[in-house]
This record gives sequence, C-alpha cells and structure tokens, in this order.
Amino acid sequence: MRKLGIVALGAAAALTLAGCATSGGTGASEDGAEIRVWLVGTDTPDEAREYLVDTFEKENPGSTLVIEEQAWDGLVDRLTTSLSGSDSPDVVEVGNTQAAAFTSAGAFLDLTDEYENLGGDDLLPGFVEAGSYDGKFYAAPLYSGSRLVFYKKDALAAAGLTVPTTLDEYISNAQALAAANPGKSGIWWPGQDWYNALPYIWENGGEIAVADGEEWDAQLSSEESLAGLAQVQEVMTTASSAPKDGNETSPEVGFCDGTSLQLSAPSWVKWSILAPADAEAPGCPDQEENLGVYALPGMDGGAAQVFAGGSNIGISAKSAHPELALSALEIILSDEFQTIYGENGLVPAKLSLADTLGTDEVAKAITAAAGNAKLTPASPNWADVEASGILTDLFVNIAQGGDIKALAEAADEEIEAILNS
Amino acid sequence: MSATVAPQQLGAPVATTGTTRDVRRTGGGRRRITTWVLSALSVLLFLFFVFPVYWMVNTSFQPNNEIRGADVNFWPEEFTLRNYATVLFDPGRTPFLPAAGNSIVITILTVIISLVFAFLAAIAVTRFRFKSRRTFIIAILVIQMIPGEAMIVSVFRVIDGWHLLNTIIGLTVVYIATVLPFTIWTLRGFVNGVPAELEEAAMIDGCSRAGAFWRVTFPLLAPGLIATGVFGFIQAWNEFIMALVLNARPEMMTLPVWLRTYLVANGTTNWAAIMAGSTLMAIPVIVFFLLVQGRMTSGLVSGAVKG
Amino acid sequence: MTTVDNGLDPAPSAFEGERMTAPQPKPAARRIRRIRGGFTPYSLLTPAIIVLALITGWPLIQLIVTSFQEFGRAQVFGAPPEWVWFENYANVLTDPVFYAVLIRTIVFSAGCVIVTMFLGTLIALMMMRLPKGFRILLSVGMLLAWAMPALTATVVWGWMFDTAYGVVNYILVNWFGMEEYFQHSWLIDPLSFFLVAGIIIVWGAIPFVAFTLYAGLTQVPDEVLEAAQLDGAGGFKRFRLIIFPYLKPIFLIVTILQIIWDLRVFTQIFALQDIGGIRALTNTLGVYIYQTSIAGGDFGQGGAIAVITAILLMSISIYYVRQVTKEEEL
Repeated sequence: MRKLGIVALGAAAALTLAGCATSGGTGASEDGAEIRVWLVGTDTPDEAREYLVDTFEKENPGSTLVIEEQAWDGLVDRLTTSLSGSDSPDVVEVGNTQAAAFTSAGAFLDLTDEYENLGGDDLLPGFVEAGSYDGKFYAAPLYSGSRLVFYKKDALAAAGLTVPTTLDEYISNAQALAAANPGKSGIWWPGQDWYNALPYIWENGGEIAVADGEEWDAQLSSEESLAGLAQVQEVMTTASSAPKDGNETSPEVGFCDGTSLQLSAPSWVKWSILAPADAEAPGCPDQEENLGVYALPGMDGGAAQVFAGGSNIGISAKSAHPELALSALEIILSDEFQTIYGENGLVPAKLSLADTLGTDEVAKAITAAAGNAKLTPASPNWADVEASGILTDLFVNIAQGGDIKALAEAADEEIEAILNS
Repeated sequence: MSATVAPQQLGAPVATTGTTRDVRRTGGGRRRITTWVLSALSVLLFLFFVFPVYWMVNTSFQPNNEIRGADVNFWPEEFTLRNYATVLFDPGRTPFLPAAGNSIVITILTVIISLVFAFLAAIAVTRFRFKSRRTFIIAILVIQMIPGEAMIVSVFRVIDGWHLLNTIIGLTVVYIATVLPFTIWTLRGFVNGVPAELEEAAMIDGCSRAGAFWRVTFPLLAPGLIATGVFGFIQAWNEFIMALVLNARPEMMTLPVWLRTYLVANGTTNWAAIMAGSTLMAIPVIVFFLLVQGRMTSGLVSGAVKG
Repeated sequence: MTTVDNGLDPAPSAFEGERMTAPQPKPAARRIRRIRGGFTPYSLLTPAIIVLALITGWPLIQLIVTSFQEFGRAQVFGAPPEWVWFENYANVLTDPVFYAVLIRTIVFSAGCVIVTMFLGTLIALMMMRLPKGFRILLSVGMLLAWAMPALTATVVWGWMFDTAYGVVNYILVNWFGMEEYFQHSWLIDPLSFFLVAGIIIVWGAIPFVAFTLYAGLTQVPDEVLEAAQLDGAGGFKRFRLIIFPYLKPIFLIVTILQIIWDLRVFTQIFALQDIGGIRALTNTLGVYIYQTSIAGGDFGQGGAIAVITAILLMSISIYYVRQVTKEEEL
C-alpha cells in the first residue's frame, strides 16, 4: 500500500508538471501566440481543417492555430461559460439558430468594420442576419447545410413509384413504401428529429412564432401549423419504424441494413452512407448505384421551404489576440477554404461559390433546397427554446400519436414563456 | 457459525432428520434448504450485478457493425481489439491517455489534499472546544444539501478570476471543496472513536500533544482515512459537469468528459468504442476498490458506530 | 507504544491531572471531553475553511444574490443585473412545472431509497448465512457494480435497454416470446424511464448499503445472534427487536446519505435523457436547475430553484441535524 502510494505520488507530480507545461505554453509568448478555433461537430472536412492550420501558420509565422472540436450537444451551455472566461477560445462556430443568444449578450467581437473585407454582400444574407444584432455585424456565415431526401432507387421502383413532385405525393409515397415493406421505414423519422418537421408547418402556411411588436406569439397551434403537424404525425406513425423517441444520429445504419428506404437528412449524410464497409462507422459503398437523392417537394411542387441549418462563426470578445483571430477568420471566409465546403456538399458562405457544389444530382437538390430555405424565429432567446428540449419533446409525443392540438398549445405556451422572458 | 447452533434447539420436536414425510422438518433440514435457496438467490443476484459489466466488456470486443445486427452476440463471435485501438490512438478523436492522466492526477491530488485538510479539521472539532464549533459542524452538514448544479457559473467565475481554467489545480481545488464536507463529517466520527486517553497517556511519556496525536491516534485512523478517501476518489473520478465547464480544452479533459464526447458525437454513435472507453474508465476504479474494499467497509462501520 | 499506567505520578498539567483522577469511563457511556485550545483549533480548521469559503461559500452567496436578480446570459457577459427581489421566487413557486418536478423528484428518490435500503438489508442478512464461496461470488459481483462510474453505468444500461439493438428487448422477444417488446422503447414513457433510471441507481447503490450493513452485522456479538435463533421469534420480529438496535446508527447514516444523494441525482438522469425520453416529463430537481440556468440562460430563476431545493433538503433532514446538535452539546 505504502509503496503504491509513493509511486502514485511520483507519477502525480510528474504529470502535474507536464500538465502545467502544456497550459503554460498557451499564453502570449514572444514567439507568437496560439489561436484556438472551436469547430462544432464533424461537418467541416479534414481537408478544410488542414488548409486552415497550414495557411494560418504560413501567414503568421511563429503563431499556431489549434482546432478544438466540440459536440453540438450542450454547445450553448459550454459557450456561455467558455466565452465569458479569461481562457476563452478565439474563434468559435455556433449554430445559426443559436447565434443570436451570443451576439445579443455581447459575447462576440464587433465585426461591422470588417464586413466588406470578409465578403460583404456576397455572404449568405440569411446568415448575415442571424449573426447581426442591433445593426452590428458579429458573426459571419460559415456554411449552410440543407436537408435532402435520400432514397433507395430499387425500392421506389419495386413499389411502382417515382420521385415525388409535391408534399402530398411524398407522403403517400412513403406510406406506400412502408405498406409494401412491412417493418421497414418508408421514411425513416426518429421522434426527436424536429428539424424535419418544420417544412410541413411552413408549407401549410404555419409558423413557429411571429414577432408581434416586442412580444413573440407562438404559432404552433394555429390552424395552418396544426394541418402541418397532422401530416407529420401521419408520416411518423404510418410510414416510419424508427424509434419514436430516437434521435437523428446514425441514419446510415438503417439505410445500409435495408430497413430505411428513404430518409431526410443533412447533405453530408451521403458520405456516411458511402463510407467503407469496414470503417469505424461502417457504410455501404455497394449501394452507390442504388442511392438516389432529391429535394423535399413543396405543397405546390418545387422545393419545399426547408430548415436552413448551418453555422456562423465569430471572434470571442475576450480573445487575447483579436488581430490573429481575425486573420484566421479571413482564411475561413476565403474562396479557397469555402470551396472545400462546396466540394463536400455543404453550401459555402458566399453566394458566388454556389457552383462549387458541382452539377450532379446531389448538387441540384442542394441548390433547389437552399433556394427556398428558411430560418427559425430571430430571437436572442431562440437558442434557449432549442436547449430546453420543448421541440424534441413535442415531436416525440406526436410520434407516439398524442393529441396534436393539446400538445401544440402546451408547446406554444412554453415557447412564448421563453421567447418573451 | 451454523456449527455452533445445534439443529434440535430450534424448537422443533426431536426427530431423526427426514425419515418420515409427515414429520415437520427439523431445524437442520430447514436450514440446509434455506442455505440452498439463499445460495441460488445469491447466484441470481451475482448475475444481476455483473451482467452490465459483462455486457460492456462483451460489446467492447465486437466490431461496431456486428453489434447492430438483428442478432445479439453473447460472446464476441468476431473478436477484435479495434475499438480499443480506436479509443486509444485514433488521431481524429480526443485522445484517451491525456484524459486518463488528467483524471488520475486530479483524483489523487483531491484524495490526498482533502484527507489532510479534513483530518486537521476533524481533530479541531473533536479534540478541542472553541467558539462556533457547533456552527461549523452544522455548516458542513448543510453545505451537502445545496444542489451543485446551480453554482456552476459562480464557481466558474471564481476559478476564472484566479486564471485557473483549464488547469489541473483549478479542477482539483473545486473537487476538494466538493468532498471536504463529507470527508470532515465522516472523519470526525472516526477521531471520536479513538479515546483521547490514549493520547494523553502518550503525552505523559513525554510526547508533545501533536506528537502524541501523530504517533498514537493517527495509526488507529487508517481504516477511516481509507473509507473517506474512497469517497473522494469516486467523486473526483466520476464528476463531469464541473469538468465539462472548467476544463473545456481537449488536452485538459478528464475521463468522464472524454467519454461523453463519444456519446454525443453527432452523426454516428459508435457504441462499440463507447463500451471500450467505458471499460478503460472503469478498470482503475475496480483495481482501486479491490485494493481497499475490506478496510473500507469495516472502517465505515466503526466510524458510524462510534461517531 | 505506551499504555495507561495509573501508578504514575500525577502530571503537572491540569488536564492531565483531571484525566488521571477521573474514573476510566466505559466507551459507550464516555462523555467526550474537549480541550480549550486557544488558537490551535482555528489554525487546524484554516485550510478547510479557506477552501470551503472560496469554492463553496462565495459562490453560494453569489447564488443567493443572483436569485434576487434578473440574471441572464447578457449578465454573464458583463451587463449589469437588475434587482427583482422576490420575483424569481414568486415565478418558481407559482409554476406548476416546478411542483411537478419537485413531486417527481421526491417520489422517485423515496422509491430509490426504500428499494435500495430494503434490498441492501436483505442482501446483508443473506450474506451472513451464505456459504463462503457464494458469499465471495456475490461480493465480487457487487464490487464490480459499485466500482462502475455513474456515467459509465448509465451508458451501459442505456445500451442494454436500447430500442433497436438492446439486449433486454432481445431477451424478452427471443427467450420469452414477448413479441410486444420488439423495438420497444423503454425511455419514451416517463414511468418506464424512471424504472430504468431507478434500476441504474439502485443497482449502483445496493453494494454500498449491503457491504456496510454486512460489516455492521459481523460486529453484532455472536451470542446475540444465537439468542435470536434460540427464542424462536419470527424472522422479522427477531431482526427488528434484536439485531436492528445494533445496526441503527449505521442504518441511520446510510439512509441519510442515500436520501441526500438520491434527491440530488444528476448524472444518471442527465445522461439517460441524452439517450432517449422526454425531458420535460423526466426532469428531476438537479437536471431542472441545470436546464433552467445553464442551458436556458435564466440564472436568476435557476438560483431561486436551488435555494428552495436546499431549504427543502434541510427541512427533510432536520431530524438528523437535530440528533447531531444534541450530540454536539455533550
């Protein structure tokens, strides 16, 4: 026992020293500084990360750039503390719907003077709006991802169906697929995946919430929204065999083992599906020929108004090296860096780079979807609505066949309480 | 123990064991049957306690695509160490070893420092009479009832004020404060259990008060120190909300935070890797428990009885 | 080591003299005598008090202050907070959600404590009568469960109860032919969610209780146990009247600890909500406070909930605190 204690103490001392050495080296030393960039999730391709690090270190000799990957889950919680502390990361990515929570709180550096320098009016307008507050520009667009419908060509053909052109046809297709293939999903839709439900609300003329002067008025229980929610429930209960309380992770699993015949997911899911069969997260590259994709159709044909997911990126107001951080941000918004997003199926932050998406089926679907994309209510408190889980709870309940009107009214009340607090 | 009680003494009529069916079972027979039933029950309980551990290890040795099949494997059909390789060495992920190093250092420091501080405090409240002694005791009892989740931001600001974010020291200090009340409380019971007379006798032999305490009482407190040390260990090893907020830099993560990065990774949840990570995270605790288990419970009991 | 020798000359010090002349007290009835130590006790307490004051005391004051303020994310980033005095408290106390969370937490932890204590006691008693081999087997099993970190345990149990690939559904369907459990979601229904959470908590808590009570039982004198066997009293009565009094102090402290820990349960619920379930219907106090303050950005209200919770916990454990106070008056 005693011996062990001494060994452990020795190890502790050694490791402490090592730990101190690492953190000691991060301050502003004479050789330059370290810039910490928080990228969220795995959306940003490795190629882009390498480009960012290499270019930054070339342009700023002596300084280093470190990318710290963060998870989407609990991001708002972590940003709230980290950005307010003295050891704040310098450049941070934030979900576009979450940006307002931080721009309004003064967490980001004012970039109004850099607007032209970073791309000006070429930047995606909806995202510029999401990153601005009170007439000032705080967080630039990073990328936008839109949701596409992936499907198995053979399954659609076997059921005698074609790619749908209206939302109603899309729903009836999904139901027909599910009926023809018992136990399988005509459209794979786990209950927590509320992003996918928004187009149904919007296409029926509904809204989540509308600003009424100073106050927000939640609209989920409006007649139009209820019509959309009814469709959602119909699809979830009759066409999906996904777990009613599941989340949207790992969509490729069901697609590859054949239980999901269609699924609506961010565009990069294509790469999850086509990942090598022996990868850590295995995909099914043999399905490449069979993998079809289209943009979710709207009520009256054309692309539906889908949720424009994506990210903004800003500089922490507490950054110790704002100059260097800005230099990193310039690289991130450069054409070269943004082109890598385009080549990987994400919509670049600049309108002029739209053609980097290519011209294949996916690109066409992305362009169609992005052209009609829509955002969640532009309130600083919206991030809190998301973080509170009201929407995931709502759709889990809907997936279970709950009473839509009562659920929507309850959710409206909670959403208003948060938006107007 | 059973040998000391004769079966006939249990009030049953004296009869030879089990020769006739209508005779009520003797105590011995009943006892044997009870023992059998209890033994069988203990095996069932053993399975209940062990199954999750077994399932974790079992899953961790299977390829990720195997565990999502229609069938469930109760034994790794295709045995692989790949998940461990992924968790330990995959460059794309937050690495395991630094996180493990942080966890080990923070835990050891927390246990040692909190024991020393608590030990001193326990002596003060058991051996000395002073103003506000009772206030102190009630305060450490009350502190344990405040939900820590509410204080995260205040604690964050305190630690930030000292520029100790993302350091070993910062998190260690927070953990020490978290475990101190409980540790003082329990150690107090143990010190109470050692008669002060022993020390005084040593003082007659020429020891100073401190010397007497150190040479006489301290050795008798060993089980108590182990029992309370274990609590500090569990706390510091498992805590993750404070660690998540205070040590957000990947290189300063602790193991629970590291494990959570796998759990909430978007896109894909790699259950096999999570199970491998969970196994790695549990091993040090299991080893530690095996080392101290016996002393711990006996120590805790004497503390409770005498406290 | 020295032994007490009454033949020695009286020591010069008053304390020691007092000791020498006092009769040797019996341990059980011993009154604890304490020394007036001048500054010594304060200096012994200093390290602990400094740490507690800085890391617990100061944030606690801030928490109480915040609970009287409108304190949102902007205030975290430096905007001056606005005093609203009791508005946060009024909001919390008039919010039906708070009462739902409160009642849920109390019922759930009461359930966990009762089941844990009951099963833990039974297992401890059982271990007294088990043949050695089985006792060791059971001990090893419990030791493994005990050593599992709470987060790890929740992740593993969550995986076992997984809707699509979980072993529990698999066994129910394939071994017991219960087809309705095919792709059954265990976390979606709040009751079932708490069943799973309860299993995880109880599973992790029983070993501590069982080991401690078992260690306590081994200290009950053999004669007492034998006497209990001899007089033919019924099992429960025997336990209550003869064995329990010996266990009472241990039982009390273990129960109090379980109550405090279960009422403050956080990790298991928080992690299980990541895996599935409806947050609004499964929040317990700890998670609710976290949701309100950190995730929801309303630190004022979160602070108010925390203060109310602390007061509640204190009033629940007032009995124990009283016992302590009484004892400290000795």
